[in-house]
Amino acid sequence: MCETCGCAVTPGIAHLHGGENVVIEVLQDLLAANNEAAAHNREHLDRHGVLAINLMSSPGAGKTALLEATIVALRDRYRIAVIEGDLETDNDAARIRAHGVPAIQVTTGTACHLDAHLVHRALHDLPLAGLDLLFIENVGNLVCPASFDLGQHRNVTLLSVTEGDDKPAKYPVIFRASDLVVLSKTDLLEVLGDFDPLRAAAAVRALGRDTPVILTAARRIPDVESWLNWLEGELGALRPIAQRPRSMLAAPVGA
Amino acid sequence: MHELSVCQALLRQVAKLAEGRGASVVESITIEVGPLCGVEPMLLASAFGILRAGGCAAQAALLIEETPVTIGCLNCGVQAQTAPSRLVCAACGGFRIRIVAGDELRLRRVELRAPASVSLA
Repeated sequence: MCETCGCAVTPGIAHLHGGENVVIEVLQDLLAANNEAAAHNREHLDRHGVLAINLMSSPGAGKTALLEATIVALRDRYRIAVIEGDLETDNDAARIRAHGVPAIQVTTGTACHLDAHLVHRALHDLPLAGLDLLFIENVGNLVCPASFDLGQHRNVTLLSVTEGDDKPAKYPVIFRASDLVVLSKTDLLEVLGDFDPLRAAAAVRALGRDTPVILTAARRIPDVESWLNWLEGELGALRPIAQRPRSMLAAPVGA
Repeated sequence: MHELSVCQALLRQVAKLAEGRGASVVESITIEVGPLCGVEPMLLASAFGILRAGGCAAQAALLIEETPVTIGCLNCGVQAQTAPSRLVCAACGGFRIRIVAGDELRLRRVELRAPASVSLA
C-alpha cells in the first residue's frame, strides 16, 4: 500500500503519483542487448559444430596474412569461412576469396569494431552446415573490439613485433580477454633487435592470466606451425562443443 | 570511439525503463564504469551529451561511478586494489587472480520524474 495516499501500488509504479521522482535500481550490463545477440550467435555455431575464432589486433599486424597462410595449410582438411570486418573496402575479403574460401565482408563505416548484431547478419549469408571453422577478422583496433562479445568460442589477439613488447600493458582489456596471443612477423625480430618475446609474454602474464603466447611468421620465411597446432587442438576439442569453456568475453562484464 | 555504441545501448535501456513506468522525463542516470571494461568515462560522457538530444533523457544528468580495480589472489587470498596493467598479487606475486571489481559496465539506477498530471490522491 502506498504510504502517501493509501492506494494499492505495484513495485513498478510505486510513488509515481506521489509527486516524488522514482528511482529504479537496475544493475544491468550496458551491453546486455549485444550479449544476448552474441549468445544467439553462439547457439547457431554450436548447433552446426562450427568453431568460431575472433581475430583481433592493431591495423597492419598481419591478421589477413595469417589467415591466408592458415587457409593454404588447412583447406584440404577443414571447411573454412571468414567474416571480414573493415571500416571501408572489401580488399581483405577479396584476398581470402582468392584462396577459394567464402568470405563475407562487413563494412562498419565509422564504427571501430564488430558487434554481435553485425556478425549475426553475416552468419546468415554463410553455409554454416558445411563449415568446420569460422574466422571473424575484427576491425584493426586494440581498444574497441575488446568490449563486444560476438558469439565466438575463442579470442585470439595478434601482436606484431614491430609494435613494441609492452603493448599488453598498454592495452590490458584486449590482451586479458584473449585466449591466445600470437606474436606475428617474428622473421623481423633479427632486424629490429628491440622486441623481446619474453618481455611480451611477461606483460601478458602480468594481466593475471596464463594465456599462451606463440610466435609466427606468415610471409617472408613462413612459420605458422605453433599456430596451426593450437588451432588443431581447438578443433579436436570441438565435440562436444557445448562443453567447451567459454571465452572470457562470453562472461557478463562484472561477473 | 565505441563509446558511441555503448551510449546508444544505454539510452535504449533507459528509454525502455521510462516507457515501462509511464514516465516521459528522465532526471538522472547512474552508471558504473571500471577501468577494465574498456570504456573511457570521459568519452562516454561526451557521447551522452550528443546522443541524449530529443529523447526522454534529453535533460538527464549522467552520473558515472568509477570503480577502482580490485583483485583477489587465488593463491594467498589477499585482496587489494591495483593498476589495470598489473593484475598480479602484490603480496605473493601470484598471477592466478580473480577480478573483484573494476570491470563493470553497468546501468546502476535511473531516476524518473513523477508525471505531474498523474495524481490519485
